[in-house]
Amino acid sequence: MDPIVVVGSGASGVHFALTALRKGRRVIMLDVGYTGAEPVRPSDTLNGLKQNLPDPVAYFLGVRYHSLVLPGHSGEYYAFPPAKEHVFRARNEFQLQSSGFSPLYSFAAGGLAETWTGGCYPFDESDLSAFPFGYKELAPYYAQVAERIGITGTVDDLASVFPVHDGLMEPLELDEHSAVLLDSYAGHRDYLNAKFQCLLGRARVAALSRDLGSRKACSHTGRCLWGCPSQAFYTPSVTLAECRAYPEFQYMAGLYVDHFRMDAADQVRSVVAYAAGGETHEFATGSLVLAAGTLCSSKIFLESMFRAKGKVLELRGVMDNRQILMPFVNLRMLGRRWNPNSYQYHQIAIAVRPPNSESIHALVTTLKTGLIHPIVQALPFDLGTGVSIQRQIHGALGLVNINFPDHRRDENFVTMDVTSTPHRLVIHYRPESSEPERLTHTIATFRKILFKLGCLAPSRTVHVRPMGASVHYAGTLPMSDQPGALSCSQHGAHHEIQNLYFVDGTTFPALPAKNVTFTLMANATRIAKEAF
Amino acid sequence: MNTVQLERECRSYARYLIGQAPSAYVIGKYRDFHMEGDAAALGRFDHFLVRVSARAPFWARLADTYATRFRKNSAVHRKLVLMLALLECAPTSFEIVEQVQGGGFAGTVMLLGWGAARYALVLIVSVVLFTPVRLAMALSSKSGSAEARKH
Repeated sequence: MDPIVVVGSGASGVHFALTALRKGRRVIMLDVGYTGAEPVRPSDTLNGLKQNLPDPVAYFLGVRYHSLVLPGHSGEYYAFPPAKEHVFRARNEFQLQSSGFSPLYSFAAGGLAETWTGGCYPFDESDLSAFPFGYKELAPYYAQVAERIGITGTVDDLASVFPVHDGLMEPLELDEHSAVLLDSYAGHRDYLNAKFQCLLGRARVAALSRDLGSRKACSHTGRCLWGCPSQAFYTPSVTLAECRAYPEFQYMAGLYVDHFRMDAADQVRSVVAYAAGGETHEFATGSLVLAAGTLCSSKIFLESMFRAKGKVLELRGVMDNRQILMPFVNLRMLGRRWNPNSYQYHQIAIAVRPPNSESIHALVTTLKTGLIHPIVQALPFDLGTGVSIQRQIHGALGLVNINFPDHRRDENFVTMDVTSTPHRLVIHYRPESSEPERLTHTIATFRKILFKLGCLAPSRTVHVRPMGASVHYAGTLPMSDQPGALSCSQHGAHHEIQNLYFVDGTTFPALPAKNVTFTLMANATRIAKEAF
Repeated sequence: MNTVQLERECRSYARYLIGQAPSAYVIGKYRDFHMEGDAAALGRFDHFLVRVSARAPFWARLADTYATRFRKNSAVHRKLVLMLALLECAPTSFEIVEQVQGGGFAGTVMLLGWGAARYALVLIVSVVLFTPVRLAMALSSKSGSAEARKH
């Protein structure tokens, strides 16, 4: 049997590959595969690193100070840590031009999810209403992925919007601030449920509360933002390492896949990739699986179609979750000491389901070990006063990351500019005309919810992130029951090129407000299991 | 790049932000950052604010307060943010940056009140001191460029 060629080692690619390997298939994975340095001093806490590293500034701000947030920055509250710089390292062959969209893309081993925050939120029936399958069909794969990667969570109020699947581990130990928020919610639950259709509960996160295989449970070093030193926090490179233990798996790093070639019957016969030195490599394949992420997979498809047919296609319906960052201060936590040695990403999630509208989801991160200089400069004081105030409010600071759903709309598309060398991916995105009103209303709603929980969220600090910032791209070649040249079957197979599969977000016909990564993994597992 | 001036800035800013002198490591990193390339040409008034702020922590507070309100992207504000970032990453000083004074809600409200009052007072003083300088510099550069045009 011909090997399956998989392009990309992100969340979708590695779970597809592992499932196929477990079924006895041979898999060749082509990947650029940039990697970062190994974690330094794995047993040190975050403050231990500041104390013990020979050059802590280089570790936290970067050798060239890239992670320093100076005045006039983009409005983000933390920069990407230097240890994760490789995740966004560019590759010359991939050029893009965009309007209304600020995309991020990755050529790292493990892909963009190497910088994710671990939220694992299964889509429910209503989220999947535009998909050609329902929750029942996806649930076993959610459970399978949960067992593979380790997801903590519990059954609470959020169970009505985050279906409870098998394989959940007991939750991580709560940090004090998150515990205070949960306690406030318990006291105002009926009011919040009735007034705002607001549900609050424990987040589902891909971090281990107990050992799983060779991975150890979270040791609470407080280093999550800087890269978990013990692999208790899951990233796709963990599964990539698992795949590499199979003799039937061949991982070929350093290769940028540009296009595929087709035979006379319009089936994929080979994949063309470029090495860093410019040499061309061509791999014969029986089945090609694109898992390079929606933008890169779309580019490979567009390039291949242009070379085969001479046509520049437009792939309509590109989507992303709009996100709003809302910093807040919890009055009950003011002036309290806090423990930096705790899990750092979100431990609380919120769902708001307005009547006759789709759910909006939010993740609540209690800011503990992020760098404080971006926050202090946002305070309405001089920096000296800001530092004194920050000491008192640090343990009370939090950040709500609000996610909005998106839908495929024809005016949003990706195409290719063939007048440039190399050909450029072009992205056009315009939000719906009703979006500003919706954002304003949602901001007001969340400020009221936070106020009820005893928190203040100053309106001037709310930051509407540009489209593309959430990195949940999807929808350019959607799964559909209707055959067509620009859509796929429910197993991600292109309707006309039947040995071409898309197992990433490319095929999602809708994008709910939830972090999409867990569903990407489950869907890729489903396709590998059912179609191969 | 004047390393003596940089060191003077670094010492003044550290004392202003955390009440302590910077370590040799922090001074080295502060210098290193400026050598790395954040050496954009300063306007006259920005240059003046930097020089004034390097004199002593009190002057750093005055210049910072003025800059925070009226010149958010000025060199002095950027340098102070850099200094804070270095202090929060470096051994020993990170503990001072993050030292909670306690006192709960009431203590924080009192601190906020005191901070706001001091900020307002320093802002007034800084406006009185720096606005005439800024205006004078703006006027002299206008008349300078008019002279240059004449010639």
